[in-house]
Amino acid sequence: MEQILKATQLSKYFYQKKALDKVDLSIEKGKIYGILGPNGGGKSTFLKIAAGLLKPSQGEITIDNEKPGTYTKSIVSYLPEINYLYKWMKIKDAVNFFKDLYADFNAEKARESLKFMELEEEEKVTTLSKGMMGRLKLTLALSRKSKVYLLDEPLNGIDPISREKIITSILDSYSEEASILISSHLIYYIEKLLDYVFFLSEGRIILSGDAEELRNKRGMSIDKLFQEVF
Amino acid sequence: MMTLLKYEIYRRWRWLVLRYAALIIIGAILLNRVSSPAYQYEFIGESIGKFALTSLVIFVIIIIEGINMLKEDLFEECGYLTFTIPNKGRTILASKLVLLFFQLSFWTIISIGFGSILFSKLPYREMVQIKTQINFYFYPTLLFILTAFFNFVLMIHFSLTLTRTLLVNKRYSSLLSTGIFFFLVYFIEKVYYGPFLNQIQYISIEIGSRANTTLLSGGYTAVFLNIILTAIFFTATSYLLENKINI
Repeated sequence: MEQILKATQLSKYFYQKKALDKVDLSIEKGKIYGILGPNGGGKSTFLKIAAGLLKPSQGEITIDNEKPGTYTKSIVSYLPEINYLYKWMKIKDAVNFFKDLYADFNAEKARESLKFMELEEEEKVTTLSKGMMGRLKLTLALSRKSKVYLLDEPLNGIDPISREKIITSILDSYSEEASILISSHLIYYIEKLLDYVFFLSEGRIILSGDAEELRNKRGMSIDKLFQEVF
Repeated sequence: MMTLLKYEIYRRWRWLVLRYAALIIIGAILLNRVSSPAYQYEFIGESIGKFALTSLVIFVIIIIEGINMLKEDLFEECGYLTFTIPNKGRTILASKLVLLFFQLSFWTIISIGFGSILFSKLPYREMVQIKTQINFYFYPTLLFILTAFFNFVLMIHFSLTLTRTLLVNKRYSSLLSTGIFFFLVYFIEKVYYGPFLNQIQYISIEIGSRANTTLLSGGYTAVFLNIILTAIFFTATSYLLENKINI
């Protein structure tokens, strides 16, 4: 299988604090990966470096053999945990913005997804609830035909109904040409999506492996394993 | 860049309309007042002063917004959107500066337009007297003001971007940005302008005065130095935005 993202000895320090400590990680095309760990474990930092928002202190990360930059931003679809849309936007403005600025954005798919997510295009982003905002962000991120999807805590603070819709959308977006990297500490809900998992704690990968193999080898679900490890 | 410019305008169009509408309405009210046959000449100067003050306030707002255009993206959550779109740092920065240039152009047109009409209401004798006192070469003066304006804004943009490169924590960012800015002001005056200071030291008010050709030559030197400095700050800020910032 072809590697699409590769991190080698990747470290990130915030003053004295090590957010990532010599992380080696690679992901292949056509698989869904989970970066799992408690809050503050370094999951978001890793995704932000891959998205080109943070610079590594040491080590290297490449996506499609390029360091994060203008090219990788054109093939990486990033969903941050925070509400990053401009406050002046209505939902339709956000869709138009993505259509205008990402060549791989499929506006038709986005509009269909908005219907599925029960979102109205005329609504202002500032009036959306957390669940609605989560659904909108996911719609925007998954309506791109990217090589890599980076989803940072897509289920955090989301109500159970929205969670189901989000998981369905992620599954629908699966393609053999794309890789999906999901960070979460809500393992129970995303476990069924994952092909491969990385357990990240205090900036280090303490356990990794094929999800099915880990379940068989340890005789427990990934969720239970997560509770045991942390 | 045009797409980014379009969204920069979308982002702020209400404020843009509001500020120019305010300037035009105040100008029109003052003009209407001085055009009245009952209006006495002594108060025309007062109307010109009021309009100049309004115009100055709008100018300060334009500068503040010019700075905030980048500051918002660097220090607020919307930066996650701005800096994950596949555009070069120079494109992102240029879109903001072009909008700033448009704003400045509108402001200049409206201010000069109303200012000239108000000025023409003065008695002929006073007009001639004032015109003799303010006797500028137009182009060097305009170029100097324009390049100094963009230099100033870009120096602040650079200070903010460098701060975002050095600091992830937002707590001390204002302090650091201010420190970097004042260091740059000091450094540029002493080292960059230093060798030319004798030539350009009077330009701030008297640049391009027809009465003094030495000052005119000093004005062009300053314009030339400003253009180089603008290019340096634009390149450096673009580079940091693209390669070094931590959002």
